Amino acid sequence: MSKSESKMTVPLYESVRRRFRRNRSEAEIVLSTVHIFSKLSRSEIRQVENVMHVRHYTMNETIVKQGAPGSGMYIIVSGNVGIYILNHDHEEQLVTELEKGDFFGEIAVLNDAPRTATARALENCTILGFYRPDLLGLLETKPQIGIKILLALSEVLATRLSMTNEELSRAQRQLQKLEDERRDAGE
Amino acid sequence: MQVSDDHSVNQKFIRAFHSALFKTLVNFVLLILALIAAYKFIPFITDAVFMIIMAVVLTAVISPAIDWLEAKGVKRGIAVALFFIVTFSLVGMVIARGAPALIDEIGKLKNLIPSTSTNGTVDQLIGKFNAWVAQYLPSLQIEPSMVAKVTSSFFSQIGTIVTTTLSAFSSFLFILIITVFFLVDGRRMMKALIGMVPNQYFEMSLNIAYKTQEQLTNFLRGQLIAAGGVGIQSILGLHILNWVFDANISGPFLIGGIAGVANIIPYIGPFAGTLPAIVVSLFNNFGDPVAASHMYFIPHIVVMFIIVQLIDNNFISPLVVSGAMEMHPLTVMLVILIGSKWGVVGMLLAVPGWGIIKVIFHEIMSGIRQHRAAVG
Repeated sequence: MSKSESKMTVPLYESVRRRFRRNRSEAEIVLSTVHIFSKLSRSEIRQVENVMHVRHYTMNETIVKQGAPGSGMYIIVSGNVGIYILNHDHEEQLVTELEKGDFFGEIAVLNDAPRTATARALENCTILGFYRPDLLGLLETKPQIGIKILLALSEVLATRLSMTNEELSRAQRQLQKLEDERRDAGE
Repeated sequence: MQVSDDHSVNQKFIRAFHSALFKTLVNFVLLILALIAAYKFIPFITDAVFMIIMAVVLTAVISPAIDWLEAKGVKRGIAVALFFIVTFSLVGMVIARGAPALIDEIGKLKNLIPSTSTNGTVDQLIGKFNAWVAQYLPSLQIEPSMVAKVTSSFFSQIGTIVTTTLSAFSSFLFILIITVFFLVDGRRMMKALIGMVPNQYFEMSLNIAYKTQEQLTNFLRGQLIAAGGVGIQSILGLHILNWVFDANISGPFLIGGIAGVANIIPYIGPFAGTLPAIVVSLFNNFGDPVAASHMYFIPHIVVMFIIVQLIDNNFISPLVVSGAMEMHPLTVMLVILIGSKWGVVGMLLAVPGWGIIKVIFHEIMSGIRQHRAAVG
């Protein structure tokens, strides 16, 4: 197929689309996969990306520390992050490993309670930070975007709450079962 | 073996002590150098810093309106342009319609003093006032020369403010240009600035910056609303005094405006607002023998301003002015004393300026304290 023939076969709308298609940044692609921003259009994601903070962490660098006041969430653009919690002996214990597209610390966007875990870069990482002041700014200047993010955050929290409730009722059932067994054994 | 261990521990301790001493000395020398540099260069950068501070203040006052327009879907740049077009049009209209009347009011007030001083009626008035006061406080007598001096310096200060304002037009233009940049690109500038902070302190710095900005906006907005409230109430009160009690106070808009602006200064402001009204009513009323003999208008004015202050202190200020901004009277006096180096304008701006510094310092310190307490 000659070059002129290949040009002829491209439909007009495709040619226009290609011409005006903007190269999406890596951060933008990652953001579109994160549940909290999944309700946003492409242009809205670009606006959110504009208020976000790109941070670079070297290997073993602490991103957030357990107990420190938190005010934002982090989205991993590249690299891996380890989540650690302190055990009874006050030693750090690796709970999970997060990779590109994963996020953590989202509760801190809504509530400035202390961080419940430590996050540390397992290799050189690029991370997007989205903080409460950014969300409040969006709610003031672009409320339609801010509300969509708030709704998605509420969904995440509601899912977690129902999961916690399930866990709690399962634990209560188990406790009841154990108590019944103890009573039976005593009799 | 024990001896050599002790020796090495001693060596380590001495090395650590030398290192700490060296660091302290270096820090001390750097601090001295920084202070010398600040002392040498501050005069050169004072104007620029003043303009930037003024632009920050203006940005904090205007930005809620721009945010509101942006939330309605207007692009930020267009919102800023719209705001200034509307504001300038309104200001232009007010100047075109109100300036001749205001100049007339100032002229009337200014003409009042020399004309009355020359024909001796001020002395006559003071004589009557002294006679009235002597019934209650014989030791308190007013010297006519002192009154003439005070009043002429008061009105010459008004003249100084007007001429300073006109000569500072170019500075005002620069401040407006900086404000426009801050309004359009302020967030990006702040983001870039905070982006330079190391990862360890990033979140803390961002929070401090946000809280400081929020407090600053609330503080300035509160001060403006409170000043506007006192100004409007004073104008209404003076009009009521003129209508109901025939107090004969000319220039109620100018006096009310002064009372509003002066209200920015705590403790001293209310007196500064009352004084012009009393002075003007004194000069206006000495022609009336009944009014001059009883001086009934002075208690009326004082009571009116007390009512204005009661309304402001109990209803307006608690709602709009942050409680964290309460200042000790001694602090206020010291700050005003420092501000007096830059004349009346400096005295007026000194208290809100100190308020801004206090807010920034308070937020930074509490942010650092919280961070330290949490991290341990």
